[in-house]
Amino acid sequence: MLSLKTAKAAGDFDHYPDSMGVLVDVNRCVGCRSCEAACNKEQGLPEPEKPFNDYSVFDEGHEGGGHGGVGRRTDETRYTVVNKYEVPEIDHPLYRKSQCNHCLEPACLTSCFVNAYTKTPEGAVIYNPDVCVGCRTCMIACPFYVPAFKYSSAFSPRVMKCIFCYDTRLKEGRPPACVEACPQEAMTFGKRFDLLEIGRKRIRQHPDKYVNHIYGEKEAGGTAWMYLSPVEFGEVGFDVHVPHEPVINFVRDFLSIVPMVLVIWPALFAGFHLLANRKDAQHNHDDIDREGGE
Amino acid sequence: MPLRKKWCMMWGIAAGVVLLWAGQGRAIDRSDAPETVTIGLLAELYDPVEFNHTAHIEMVECSDCHHHTVGTVTKRWNCIKCHDNPQEGDTVGCSDCHPLDRFGSRYLATLDNPELYHKEKPGLKGAFHLNCVGCHQEQGGPTGCEDCHTMNETGEKRFNAGPYTPAR
Amino acid sequence: MKLFAREKQELPIADHFKADGSRWSLKEKLLLGLSFDDYRQQLLRNPFNWLILIVFAVGLPIIAQRFLFGLGSVTHASNDYPWGLFLAFGLFGMVPLSASGFMLGTTVELFGRKDFHPIERLALLNGLLGYFFAVVYLQVDLGMPWRLPYPMFVSLGPAAVLFLVAWHVATYLSVQVAEVLPSFFEWLGWLKGKRMIRSMVLGLTVAGIILSTLHQGALGALFTYAPGKLHPLWMSANFQWIHFLTSAVFGGLSMLIVVSTFSKWFLAWRCDHHFLESLDKLTLGLAKGATFAMITYLGIKFIAIAHDKEWVYLFTGWGQYFLLELTIGVFIPMMLFAFAVRNGNARMARVAAFIGVFGVLWNRINTALISFNWHMYQEIPYWKEAVITITIFTLYLVTYRFILYRLPILYEWKGDK
Repeated sequence: MLSLKTAKAAGDFDHYPDSMGVLVDVNRCVGCRSCEAACNKEQGLPEPEKPFNDYSVFDEGHEGGGHGGVGRRTDETRYTVVNKYEVPEIDHPLYRKSQCNHCLEPACLTSCFVNAYTKTPEGAVIYNPDVCVGCRTCMIACPFYVPAFKYSSAFSPRVMKCIFCYDTRLKEGRPPACVEACPQEAMTFGKRFDLLEIGRKRIRQHPDKYVNHIYGEKEAGGTAWMYLSPVEFGEVGFDVHVPHEPVINFVRDFLSIVPMVLVIWPALFAGFHLLANRKDAQHNHDDIDREGGE
Repeated sequence: MPLRKKWCMMWGIAAGVVLLWAGQGRAIDRSDAPETVTIGLLAELYDPVEFNHTAHIEMVECSDCHHHTVGTVTKRWNCIKCHDNPQEGDTVGCSDCHPLDRFGSRYLATLDNPELYHKEKPGLKGAFHLNCVGCHQEQGGPTGCEDCHTMNETGEKRFNAGPYTPAR
Repeated sequence: MKLFAREKQELPIADHFKADGSRWSLKEKLLLGLSFDDYRQQLLRNPFNWLILIVFAVGLPIIAQRFLFGLGSVTHASNDYPWGLFLAFGLFGMVPLSASGFMLGTTVELFGRKDFHPIERLALLNGLLGYFFAVVYLQVDLGMPWRLPYPMFVSLGPAAVLFLVAWHVATYLSVQVAEVLPSFFEWLGWLKGKRMIRSMVLGLTVAGIILSTLHQGALGALFTYAPGKLHPLWMSANFQWIHFLTSAVFGGLSMLIVVSTFSKWFLAWRCDHHFLESLDKLTLGLAKGATFAMITYLGIKFIAIAHDKEWVYLFTGWGQYFLLELTIGVFIPMMLFAFAVRNGNARMARVAAFIGVFGVLWNRINTALISFNWHMYQEIPYWKEAVITITIFTLYLVTYRFILYRLPILYEWKGDK
């Protein structure tokens, strides 16, 4: 009964209404990597392998040929990366920034068995390294391949991921460092609700410049960071197979059988035990009867 | 070096003052335009840009950059409602409409106004780049950051470039 | 050891007293009743021990490297494949093969099939060691192994599947320790302890089956967190936990047949006639159980495909690989088991069991490594990762053998019980 109630409550959770988000316009990004540089300094991340104005990084894949086909991904040295995509429809390359999308119902959070993740009312998904065990289930669960692990450390490893500049900026109502650094204002910072409106308006006003979809409106149950794109999202490195509901919905089936097994199994198997040993019992019973009869 | 530092400190003022240059509304003439405009908006990371205004007005219409504020009045019915009156049309300087402090809390608070129409009006930095880079992309102008901007030392630090290039 | 057992009447030790009536000391029991020199000699004589030595000589330094220089120094440190061989083989593979404990516990204690008694203890030990070493593998893989108790006591996330796995494996491990303790107490000669456990056996068995059902299933359900990453044929939100549970049933039974076969081949001196004589019959009994589990498994596998409308995938390369896995890993051993049961051919059942064990391991590796990230590139583990995996498995074998040599698992204790 209790679990049914909580399951319903969890299903009804309609997110933090005033949470903030960012709308990224792939049309506008020119691949200058200013966001990467700003993030690196704001978050005190390790020195990069190459300068941030070295654009040869766009030719790098990561091990094994690439993430969803092409490009670099977030890792223990970078919370955000920009990748380059050549598409046939457009005569100049497109660029797409990726970072944590700060889901409304984050898979990392729901899969974590030590509650290391928190979704703040401001919209950020933050991480607490002090309780993390390093099981990396969050990395399995994240549909966007965002969290990375500090594999290089033996004694203080941790998950490394974008936290929406929560501690230093978002908490005070300011946008993350990458947004402010972008010369193209490719990122619009605002309430998620307003961003959806802005996104729809841009699509409506420039139907020739955008495909009619806001990536992140529904993906993974909705994300705080959303995207507009001039071409099909699959062409610019997005996983278009990400389900349109929170990842936790796929796990609910199993979670709901747990209390059933806990409650039913003992009675069921105790019953089997009694049935299986009926002969012995009957035997004893007969004995008793006989004894009683004499 | 001291010059750069000074720029750093005064970047806001510089950008504000230079761009406050105001024209005469729709009566404006090409000849009234300045030859160059110094833009020090990114002075934190880059040296100021000397924008050759004269060269650009020979290539494009005023309204290509200045929208409806320099002579060519907008004809779109939805825009006319507001922008046909002199007040809205009488300004030429970019920073009059495009906020310098796009992400400051004061400006962000104005976005909560439910009657605000241009909710996603870019800030000054965005307006410049969207305008310039967009056109340069189409017309084959320079599009690389350092084609227009010279990085200063703070910029090199930020980008791990120049003397701060990672040793490998 | 075979030679010694043949030479000396009183060996192998199966009683508290020597032939002359004096009591075996603990040290003598540990040395299997041999003098220290004899013990060392029999160690060195066995070529298998040399192989173990080589594995440890290579593997232990690499394990040390992992704990001193981080996971990144022994793996590819992949962020796309956060779970590698340690978990795919060590955790997801070892745990289903250890289902024998709760299966036989249930058969003997709950269903009253006392005829399976001679093999029950081996089943329980197989379960205990499998789980224990799954935890060892986990400890190698965890970023902060020293925080293993955190999910239990420090920061609880009870809504996560892994929370269930952690709690269930931990409690079930204690249950299994309790279930194996009687043989230890017999060997030690502390009967009070044994009686104490015997009085709880029904409770322990029921606890065992609940915990096993849930965490065997939960291991499968862990993958429902990655619905888009696993190939649809290996991933079913509704049925994943049943797939893992039913395959654990025949996995555990097959593993028990395999282990008992090895015992019969290499540890015959340690087995008593009771075990050896009933083994063929018991093997066929286990084979029967495995056949039913396999039929059920195949059935649910295809129900899941129908439910998720995935027939079209069967005609792709992935589909053929999937069918290959089911054919070799499940269908062929199932047929062999069935023929074996029908013709009373225990040898055929043994062959089937070897394939069955392989099938379950293959399935787990396919789920966790091969079909994972099917849209992406395939991760091939770094060689050091494989070496660590093999080293820990060798440690498992050594521990297994150490216990079988001594405790009354394969034989009945002749002293007071």
